[in-house]
Amino acid sequence: MNNPNKTSRQIMAACVVAGFVLLCAGANCLSPVWGTGLAEAADASEWPEFRGSFGRGAAEDETIRSHWSETEGIAWKVDLPGKGASSPIVVGDLVVLTASSGAREDQLHILALDKETGRTRWQRTFWATGRTLCHPTSAVAAGTPASDGRRIVALYSSCDLVAVDLEGRLLWQRNLAIEHPRSGNDVGMGSSPRIIDDTVVVQIDCQGDAFASGIDSTTGVDRWSVPRAKIAGWASPLAVTTPNHGACVLLQNSRGLELRQAKSGSLEWSWKGECAGIPVTAESGGIFYVPSDGIAAVASMAKDAPPLWRSTKLSCGIASPLVWGNSIACINRAGVLGIADPRDGQLRGQIRLAGSFWASPILVGNVIVAANKEGKTFLVSVDNEPTIVAENQLPGTFIATPAVADGSLYLRSDSLLWKVAAP
Amino acid sequence: MACFCIDPTALPRRFFLTLACLSAVIRPAISAEVPPQSMAEAISICRELSRASGPDGQADMAAKADQIAELPAEWLAPCLVAFDDATPAGANWLRSGLDRAADRFGDRLPLEELATLVGDATQSPRGRSLAFLWLTGQDRAKADGLLDTLLDDPSLDLRRQAVEKLLASAGGQEQAAHKKTYRRGLAAARDIDQIEQIVGWLAEHGEQVDVAEVLGFVRQWRVSEAFDNAKGIGFEKIYPPQTGELAQPDTSGWKAVASTDKHGAIDLNAALETKKGVLAYAVAIIEMPRAGAAQVRIGSPCAVAVWVNGLPVMAHEIYHASEAIDQYIATTDFSAGTNSVMVKCCQNEQTEPWAVDWKFQLRICDSLGLPLATQLKRAGDE
Repeated sequence: MNNPNKTSRQIMAACVVAGFVLLCAGANCLSPVWGTGLAEAADASEWPEFRGSFGRGAAEDETIRSHWSETEGIAWKVDLPGKGASSPIVVGDLVVLTASSGAREDQLHILALDKETGRTRWQRTFWATGRTLCHPTSAVAAGTPASDGRRIVALYSSCDLVAVDLEGRLLWQRNLAIEHPRSGNDVGMGSSPRIIDDTVVVQIDCQGDAFASGIDSTTGVDRWSVPRAKIAGWASPLAVTTPNHGACVLLQNSRGLELRQAKSGSLEWSWKGECAGIPVTAESGGIFYVPSDGIAAVASMAKDAPPLWRSTKLSCGIASPLVWGNSIACINRAGVLGIADPRDGQLRGQIRLAGSFWASPILVGNVIVAANKEGKTFLVSVDNEPTIVAENQLPGTFIATPAVADGSLYLRSDSLLWKVAAP
Repeated sequence: MACFCIDPTALPRRFFLTLACLSAVIRPAISAEVPPQSMAEAISICRELSRASGPDGQADMAAKADQIAELPAEWLAPCLVAFDDATPAGANWLRSGLDRAADRFGDRLPLEELATLVGDATQSPRGRSLAFLWLTGQDRAKADGLLDTLLDDPSLDLRRQAVEKLLASAGGQEQAAHKKTYRRGLAAARDIDQIEQIVGWLAEHGEQVDVAEVLGFVRQWRVSEAFDNAKGIGFEKIYPPQTGELAQPDTSGWKAVASTDKHGAIDLNAALETKKGVLAYAVAIIEMPRAGAAQVRIGSPCAVAVWVNGLPVMAHEIYHASEAIDQYIATTDFSAGTNSVMVKCCQNEQTEPWAVDWKFQLRICDSLGLPLATQLKRAGDE
């Protein structure tokens, strides 16, 4: 965990070490056990992409306060310039999020707030160049931005992808709906971009020109682009590192999984089987936990092998499964949180929450944070049997997955971003 | 089974944050991007930005945007005219630079120049819209004051705000004047939600307005028999209506169908009985006031293709993903007077209850959404 009060000497030391590594090795030669590339180096002060570092949705070393309300425990709240289903991310001293506005929802915003005060540091607005129709529950700003600490990339439902630096300077843009004229989905796209091994991976699953691309994060030029089955989907790419293939990306649609090398796009493994269209597969210890009809545990790299186990008692609605330690948790369409053993899928416990869940649960310390659409955030202790330890209500509609950094929780409603103060 | 591992000791992200911060400090000092020395040079750079396209050479565009971000305040309004022939990517490059420049001046932007640009309807709608936004941020009253003259504006954004203001102004009026104001708003409005709002209020106050008429939906159609679309094969398949063999729907047994739907939908389930895995063609004869380009706007939950005067205009093989008025828009040329429009509307074999609809709605408009086509009553019309 980085100390936010790191001395200049420490920073200098970090610079020297990191610089040495870069000079000697180059990004390509980084050890494959480095995880998912430079973007995902775990840091408790940051939450750099959809579901945080590694996309795991887990911050085991963090602690958040147990109670808050509109008038208690709130560090700040900020009016947003538009709608959004996207989550905030935390990069350095910035909280970054996207929004979309306008009668045609064609104004695409990306804004950076001061993490401490909530003051707007900068805001950039772009015109959508692709289709902006979407279901009223969602928004054109549906995908969560991602950062590698040097730049921020944001992908909108209009298939516009923009990269800005930490000062809001536009570095490059890709108007993917112009390049792939029949891409997009009038229900709204929802996939978030990932930055893996200096490659921005986007997954555009739709009935039209479906594709996935790996884009050079520095130049904005394609490293690779592959067509995909013409099936609508909302899942986000997942960063996975394998010893044999290095930094890879897992792409999911309703027919199965594909594992591609992030930098080259080469197909390393695939699995045919039913997958859900929205919740994202989780990975732990070389096993993929695939939301489907329940959860299927699939051994990665096993060719044409049946799932290790399949459980219909453990099912996901829209929210993605959460895997940590020896546990896997899912929230089903009825709002029931189930926790199971990832080794065999045996259910350990269930607890009924309330409301509907669009936001994925995250783990903070030993507590699952589950925010329902109606504004109630449940804190569920997972020490033994799942137990609700707190319910905290805020006004508004919440469909964005929460973010956590430095013990503070960030909750995005349809009109506000709330920072719940650290304990 | 392969072993997957994630090493939390990866290179500290803060290292890159530190580099980013250092670069922010150092960049101005070492930047090769010298701000433009004259307004002409500034406008020239803006025009280069506005023509950007494609993924290559974007570092160049970023450098030009950096130059624009350093412009003096008094050059911003003149530079906004460069949006007039901007590509979609170019508009965003230009906006990124100009917005950064505007940010530097906070509430010290040149109001009069911006107001003049907003009021000049011959200039780029995007440039004027951005000027209005900056103006609103600095002097809302002044910006609002301009809206009274923008009711018939070529910028949809400005027109919308003008209509919104007009409707709000009717709040204190007695009913007759209120209705008159709303009718004026109806004539100016182009956005569907505003039109619905106005029509709804008028209906509540005893004045029925035919929304389909206002929106100009083509309502008289001839519908073919159903053709096979099992497994979606029909979308690409060429059936007789596409070959011209059945180009005379008046005489070939096509069924006359007239829409009575509020939004001009032609319900093919009603016209041909509810079916799955089929497609049908629909032909309409419309009258256009003049020759030239116009927009074909179609909405459908099903896969659709459109021809005008026998020439393909658009095709969208999307099933039951969404449905909206003006969902798909394409621009094509029309002749003055009589034109034919043919729609191929394909139903798939999904069995979900929300996948039953088999219908479309279509209108011909100018680029802002003003209906252009009319239909003459023909023998056999419903």
